[in-house]
Amino acid sequence: MPTIRFETDRARLRALEKGDAAALQSYLNEPSIIGRRYIPWKMKDVAPLSLSRVDGIAESWGKEEKSITLGIELRETGDLVGHVGWHWGWDTHCPGAWVVVASSHQRRGIGSEVLTHLLEYLFLDTPAHNVNGWLASWNDAGLAFAQSLGFTVSGRVPRGGIRSGAFFDEVMVDILKPEWLAVKGRS
Amino acid sequence: MALEGKLVLLREERHEDQRLFVDLRNDLETQGWNVALPPTYTEGMYVKRLDAMEFSYERDSARLSVEVKETGELAGYISYSDVDPRIGATIGIAIAKPFWGTGVAFDAQEILLRFLFLELGLRVVHLWSHSGNVRALALAGKSGFEVTGRVREGMYKNGKLLDTIVMSLIREEYFARHAEFDDLLPDLALTGG
Repeated sequence: MPTIRFETDRARLRALEKGDAAALQSYLNEPSIIGRRYIPWKMKDVAPLSLSRVDGIAESWGKEEKSITLGIELRETGDLVGHVGWHWGWDTHCPGAWVVVASSHQRRGIGSEVLTHLLEYLFLDTPAHNVNGWLASWNDAGLAFAQSLGFTVSGRVPRGGIRSGAFFDEVMVDILKPEWLAVKGRS
Repeated sequence: MALEGKLVLLREERHEDQRLFVDLRNDLETQGWNVALPPTYTEGMYVKRLDAMEFSYERDSARLSVEVKETGELAGYISYSDVDPRIGATIGIAIAKPFWGTGVAFDAQEILLRFLFLELGLRVVHLWSHSGNVRALALAGKSGFEVTGRVREGMYKNGKLLDTIVMSLIREEYFARHAEFDDLLPDLALTGG
């Protein structure tokens, strides 16, 4: 039986280990990433994280039973430059997904490679029919990124929080398997 | 001040309530879960769950029994969870079929909304349902909730692909529908929204 390979042309998706905390901390604390780090839901995604806090986050990810978070490691350098995850807490039929890439490695196609690979895994190797995600409405780059891979906006849930004196919404995006197949057929 | 409306009051759960809650969970129409659950829940499980609740002043969820004022009958329960303090929460409701169409669910929902907006000071309340649950969507709409999001074909239920639906009610809309209350909570947003 073939093993599913969590690899793209340039990245290896691997389990996070205790020794990764420093690398995780360095990109999780980048100001441009704060607020969209996809850290455990109960943690306020607003402030810099200490090393021990990051250790706790990685440990919490590792303990999840209906969610997987993997580190994005560049194959060429071995650098940890982000994380990718998916959860099926409600239903394997409609898992949620997220990708976070360090700002120093954004706009190089790494996130697209990783999410493309994840969609392929979810639609071909799991019962997923709908893959969805949530983004803060101020995250224009994230929305453009999702849309570039075929996701469409399926909702705008008000008042996900407050930022710079204004409420922001939570934008819901999703892609159905037939839509993904159509996008895949075109690429 | 009790959480009391015209028809019902909301109160703490009691051991004797659990039989109805089991029945609501074991009925595919009232169980309210994304994936159908087998009708194998027992009163013992529910009593154990209730007894496991610890005392705390830090509560970000609650399940309240819905009791009909006139008769003392238990009609079901209503809950809130996922509280983001002073920002938002999510509600859920399950009412026994004999009480459908009697106004009991609407009254319970209005009492809980009053608690969430006037006591907890939330700025938005959400609920989750699905496109096949016309009754639940209408009940939410009656209190002013609007559809704000969906997971397309995110559910498979009763042999049908259905959209998972998110509905939301923002604070200003709630107060606009309730002229009897003044909203004295300072605005969080400087720019509206």
